[in-house]
Amino acid sequence: MLRLIGIRLILGFATLIAVSILIFLCVQILPGDVCAAVQGQGATPDTLRVCRAELGLNAPLYARYGNWFIGALTGDFGASLTNKRDIITDLLPRFYNTLFLAGYAAIIAIPLSVGLGILAAIREGRPVDRISNILTLATISVPEFFIGYILILIFSVNLGWLPSLATVFETMTFGERIYATTLPALTLTMLVAAHMLRMTRNSVLSVMSSPYVEMAFLKGLTRSRVVSRHALPNAAAPIITVVALNLAYLVVGVVVVEAVFVYPGVGQYMVDAVTKRDVPVVQACGLLFAAVFVGLNTAADIAAILVNPRLRNKK
Amino acid sequence: MYNEKRLMIDRRQLLAAAAALGLSTKFGMSSAFAAEPKKGGVLRLGMEGGSASDSLDPTTYADSIPIAYSLMFWNGLVEIGSDGTAQGEVLESWEAKPGAVEWVFNVRKDLVFGSGKPLTADDVIFTINMHRGENTKSPAKPLLEPITEIKKLSDHQISITLKSGNADLPYVLSDYHLMVVPDGTTDFSKPDGTGAYALEAWEPGVRVVAKRKEGAYWKAGRGNFDGVELRYILDSAARTQALITGQVDAINRLDPKTANLVMKAAGITVARTAGTGLRYAFVAHTDKEPFNNPDLMMALKLSIDRQKIIDNVFAGFASLGNDHLVAPNNPFFDAALPQHAYDPAKAAELYKKSGHTGPVNLKVSEGAFTGATDSAVIFQESAKAAGIELNVERVSGDGYWDNVWLKEPFSAVYWGTRPTADLTYSTTFLSDAPWNDTKFKNAEFDKAVIDARAEIDPAKRKELYASAQKMVAEDSGMICFAISDFLDGYSNKVMGNDPHPRYDLNDQRLAEKGSFA
Repeated sequence: MLRLIGIRLILGFATLIAVSILIFLCVQILPGDVCAAVQGQGATPDTLRVCRAELGLNAPLYARYGNWFIGALTGDFGASLTNKRDIITDLLPRFYNTLFLAGYAAIIAIPLSVGLGILAAIREGRPVDRISNILTLATISVPEFFIGYILILIFSVNLGWLPSLATVFETMTFGERIYATTLPALTLTMLVAAHMLRMTRNSVLSVMSSPYVEMAFLKGLTRSRVVSRHALPNAAAPIITVVALNLAYLVVGVVVVEAVFVYPGVGQYMVDAVTKRDVPVVQACGLLFAAVFVGLNTAADIAAILVNPRLRNKK
Repeated sequence: MYNEKRLMIDRRQLLAAAAALGLSTKFGMSSAFAAEPKKGGVLRLGMEGGSASDSLDPTTYADSIPIAYSLMFWNGLVEIGSDGTAQGEVLESWEAKPGAVEWVFNVRKDLVFGSGKPLTADDVIFTINMHRGENTKSPAKPLLEPITEIKKLSDHQISITLKSGNADLPYVLSDYHLMVVPDGTTDFSKPDGTGAYALEAWEPGVRVVAKRKEGAYWKAGRGNFDGVELRYILDSAARTQALITGQVDAINRLDPKTANLVMKAAGITVARTAGTGLRYAFVAHTDKEPFNNPDLMMALKLSIDRQKIIDNVFAGFASLGNDHLVAPNNPFFDAALPQHAYDPAKAAELYKKSGHTGPVNLKVSEGAFTGATDSAVIFQESAKAAGIELNVERVSGDGYWDNVWLKEPFSAVYWGTRPTADLTYSTTFLSDAPWNDTKFKNAEFDKAVIDARAEIDPAKRKELYASAQKMVAEDSGMICFAISDFLDGYSNKVMGNDPHPRYDLNDQRLAEKGSFA
């Protein structure tokens, strides 16, 4: 088990290095550099020359990557090329915001969709199954900004219950944060619920058709007991995987929702940095996202092994 | 238009002017009291025009939000008044020697930085020099290029010598990059200025919070808010909702498509400044085939249906452009110059005469300005009626300014308002202008602009600029088809968001100039 975790960690680290090289090269391929992007229409060859010299952009590609890599290994991700601020100082509060919103959405979405999924499996073909399916499919089928605007229209413009701006600051209390981020959290819930609900329902149902479940029924157990005690533990692995995937999506894939609700998360920060070709910031954000993805997937694999004894021992 | 505006002085402005002139006693105490803006309250601004990479360093400003926050902490050298004239700010007054080559500027004596250091001529010289010379990356560098020498005459007086005469030097010094910082500043992260507010929270891309400094602000009746909270709200729908639901007090850049609806919302006013916004244009390089053919160029100018673009792409919130970039509210705007209008018959005739065949390629991008593609498609349709085949190619907005504009022979561009006719022309149309995006080279034009620069007599200047406008409109590759309106939305509680001939939100000085009702 420990050996497995160790291998996973080493592979994860290698993935991150590969990702960092890939991001670095991709930003280079994009037209223009940070100086041209910042100065925009106002650039002249003269001011571009000064800016490039100041930022050390004239050094060869490998040297710039090497410098960054050595810094990154020692935990120094450098300063933004555009406003010279320390990246970690800027990134950490935003990452906390992203995690906060993702956590808030997950706390609503995971119990709701897994619970409804199990319920739908127990009551297959009944109204609760049909309705939950139709509703979640409907919310996943429209673009996320549209759901966001509908929620804003209902809850902030018409009813005036919740703010349409989800901007949060360090000085806010926990309650204020919850109040400010409720609408984006609901939007995200609607986005991820369908996937998790359907996966839960289907994996429970596929286990339901296996012989040992039939045996359990023949023993005279109720349907709900068969589902919760016999089917669910064996259906858990795919559910955990899909939950992990959706958690990762909640962290890394919410740029549009951040824009609609003006939420200061990592997504908007990264998009700004990409438009300005601010390589170190893009690198830091990209690595963070990659680390979240790798981390959650590893955790999901390990958890899937833990809940299912059969996977723990090699045959 | 300029004169019309000056005649439309309302009661509030009259009282304010009267108070400023010390005539308030004639109106009695109560009216003098009414003219005095109320103190207090926190102004919440929701703005577009900035990003998480914004900096406080004045050599990096390029958009609305940095201009707005810099004016909370610092003062400029020269302010542009609501009537478009240059007025003293840190440079209190000035005088040009005949020929306008040598200038003497008086620095205000009673100014003190937030740190307690009194402001002197050294700070002013440091400020100007930060944006000129070999080693600056400031976008203001080309503007200050003509300065050959800055001398300190006394602690509160400087002289500036130019390469050649320029009667508009005070306007040049009103550029938004020229924020007066203490001599020797290298770290701008803790802004130390003479402005009304001090920085409280700095979260670029999220918000900038400022608090009023202790003691009275040196400009009477200004700096009235207890604090200002500027929020970055880049999405225009989110910005509008924030205003309507009362989460912010004022926003910039209303979406023209929904501005009519915002006007109907209760408790909200829309400030519309016609003819001062962005000039939307297609620019052709007249030094290259086929645009070096004047008949073809004129055929293109007459085959674009300007009004249709304004109505459909900008929902009517724009005025007609007349291909020469000078603002209608500029004192040197030539109202007598005929407006280029859509005339397919005439365009067809000119097109035939030009002898050109085959499609004309136009490169556009939403990176140039929002609506560029739609405008080009309408242009394509209206040109068809004149028998001109326009081939519109949409390119990526990424790197547009670096790779397409100035390089492709026919592309889309926008130009912001410049404070003077001279700046408009010397940055874009002089033969050696750094941003000559039509490759316009005309010795007669150069002479008119350079002569006008040093000309002190306003009537003669007006004549020179009129001839310059005519030359650009008729001979250059500039097809400036529309000038957008600036559209601010603000709560009726906010006073002092008067339309300004330069920028929106009262020249981005709402925090300094405004107050709550």
